Amino acid sequence: MANTVDKAKIKEAAQAKKRETYVPVVPDMQLGFIHNNVDCIGCRACEIACKDKNGLPPGPRFRRVQYVEGGTYPEVYAYKINMSCNHCAEPACLPTCPTGAIFKRQKDGIVDIDSTLCIGCRRCEAACPFGAPQYNPELNIVQKCNMCVDEIDAGRKPYCVMGCMMRVLDIGPIDKLRDGTHETKARAPHESIVRQVKNMADPELTNPSIVFVAHSKGRVK
Amino acid sequence: MRSALVISVASGLFLAIAALNGAIGPGSFGAPGGAQAAETAQKPAAKPVAAKPGDPAAVDYLRAQWNPIHFKPAIDKATDADCLGCHQEIGKAKPRDASPAGVKAADTQAWYQTLDTYEGAQADFHWRHISSPFAKQVMNLSCTFCHQGNDPREESPHVTATDGKGAIQTAWERNEPPFTLRKMVNPSETCLRCHGAFPATSMGLEGKWHELREGMESPDAPNGCLTCHADQFRLVRHQVNYLRPDAIEKLAAAGSSDTCFGCHGGRAWYRISYPYPRHDWKDMPTEIPDWAKDRPKQSDARFLTKTK
Repeated sequence: MANTVDKAKIKEAAQAKKRETYVPVVPDMQLGFIHNNVDCIGCRACEIACKDKNGLPPGPRFRRVQYVEGGTYPEVYAYKINMSCNHCAEPACLPTCPTGAIFKRQKDGIVDIDSTLCIGCRRCEAACPFGAPQYNPELNIVQKCNMCVDEIDAGRKPYCVMGCMMRVLDIGPIDKLRDGTHETKARAPHESIVRQVKNMADPELTNPSIVFVAHSKGRVK
Repeated sequence: MRSALVISVASGLFLAIAALNGAIGPGSFGAPGGAQAAETAQKPAAKPVAAKPGDPAAVDYLRAQWNPIHFKPAIDKATDADCLGCHQEIGKAKPRDASPAGVKAADTQAWYQTLDTYEGAQADFHWRHISSPFAKQVMNLSCTFCHQGNDPREESPHVTATDGKGAIQTAWERNEPPFTLRKMVNPSETCLRCHGAFPATSMGLEGKWHELREGMESPDAPNGCLTCHADQFRLVRHQVNYLRPDAIEKLAAAGSSDTCFGCHGGRAWYRISYPYPRHDWKDMPTEIPDWAKDRPKQSDARFLTKTK
C-alpha cells in the first residue's frame, strides 16, 4: 500500500520523465480478431452477446457491426464491418491514462482497462483511432472490450466469437491470421486478408490487431 | 450451399431493414433515411436548426441527429455557437473526483500536468484543447476543425455522409474521409497533427528528443528547439488559421521547449508523423530528404491565413 511519501516520489518520477514517450509492451504472442466482411449477415448476435456478458446499458457498445451500403442501381452493394477494441500493438489509449487503469497483457497482448480505476477523463476515448473505448455517462467512466480475458484464460473464445452463427468472426495469433496459417472458419482458403478496409483509420497509427476479408467495394487501393 | 444461405438470409435482412427504415426509422421523424438520406445530405432540404442555447431538451434527439447541420455542406458553415446550442454538455464534462475504486484524481498526474504549459487539475479533453489558457494562447480551434460530419446510423462515411453516388465529401487535401469508422473524426487529419511521432532522425540527429534536448538547453536558453530553429533553420511555420503563430513564436522564445514539444512529439500517441507541408524557406536545401518527399508545399486551402 502506497503511503503519502511514495505518492510524492511517484509524482517526482513522473515529472522527471515528462518529455519521454512510453515504451510499448511487446507481448509473447499477440491475439487479434479476424472478420469476414463479405459473409457477415449483420445479425448483431456478437453485439448482443458482448452487451450481455458485460452488462452494458443502452448506449455503450464494445463491439459494433456497421452496415455499409452504397452505389446506384444496378451497381449497388452492401457489406458489414465489425470492430471492437483492436488490442493494438502500440495502443494510443494506454499512455494517455493518468491513473494506470489501462494495461496490455504480456502473454497475449490483450489491452484491458480496469474501469474501477477510471476517473472518466476520456482521454483514451479521444486518442483511440478506432472508437473502441466507450463512455458510460451513468457512471462517468470509460469501459471497453477486453477480449473476454476470463474466457481466454479459461481456454475458451470471447462471447462475440462464440455467438457468431456464421462463424465470420474469430480470434487467433495475429501474425498467423495475417499470413493465413491460422485455422479459422472466418476465412476460406481462396480468400485474402487485409489489415485495413475503406474508411477505417490508418492502421499505421497504432498497428491494430485485426484483419479482414474485405468486400470488393471495401478494399483500400 | 453456404453462399446461397448467406445471400438468402442477407437479402431477407436487407429487405427487413429497408422496411423498418421506412416504418419506424428516421424517415418517420420527417427526416431522411437510407438512400434518401444520402441525397438529402448532398442537398439539404431544410435550413439547419437554429441554435437554441439553454433549450437542448426541447429538440427531439433522434430527429436532431438527422439535421443537415451534421452533414456537408452545412457543417462547413456551422459555428461553435451552432454546435454548442445543442451540445452544451461538452462544456460541462469533467473527470470524476475519484474512480469507483477510490483512486483520487488529485493523487494522479496526467501527462499534460507535467508540462510547463499547463497548470491546474485534470480537465476534460475538449476544454483543454479549446478553452484552457494555453490553448487559447496558441490555438484557434473550432468544433468543425475536427468534426467534419457524422453518420447517425452506422458511424461510417460510406452511407449518408456521401454525395449519394458513393463518393465521399471531404475537406481534407489528402482526400481522406471526413471521419472514419466508429470515430467521430479522422485522426490522421486531426489528432495526428499534434500527437504523431516526431523522429529526431528526420533532423539528422541520433537518439530521442527527450535525451537530445538536455545537451541543447540551459537556464539561459530553456528552449532547445530554438538552438537550430531560431536562425539556422528559420522555417515558415504555423501560418494556418487554427493556430496563433505570433503567440507561439513569443511563447517559444520566452518559455521552455514544452511549448514546441506539446505538438511536436511530446505526446506522441501514434507511431507515425503527420506529413506537414513544407513551405519554402530562406536558404532551404535543394535536395529533399526521403522523409519529406511528396509533401505538399502549402497547407490545406481552408486553413490558409488571409495574409497568404
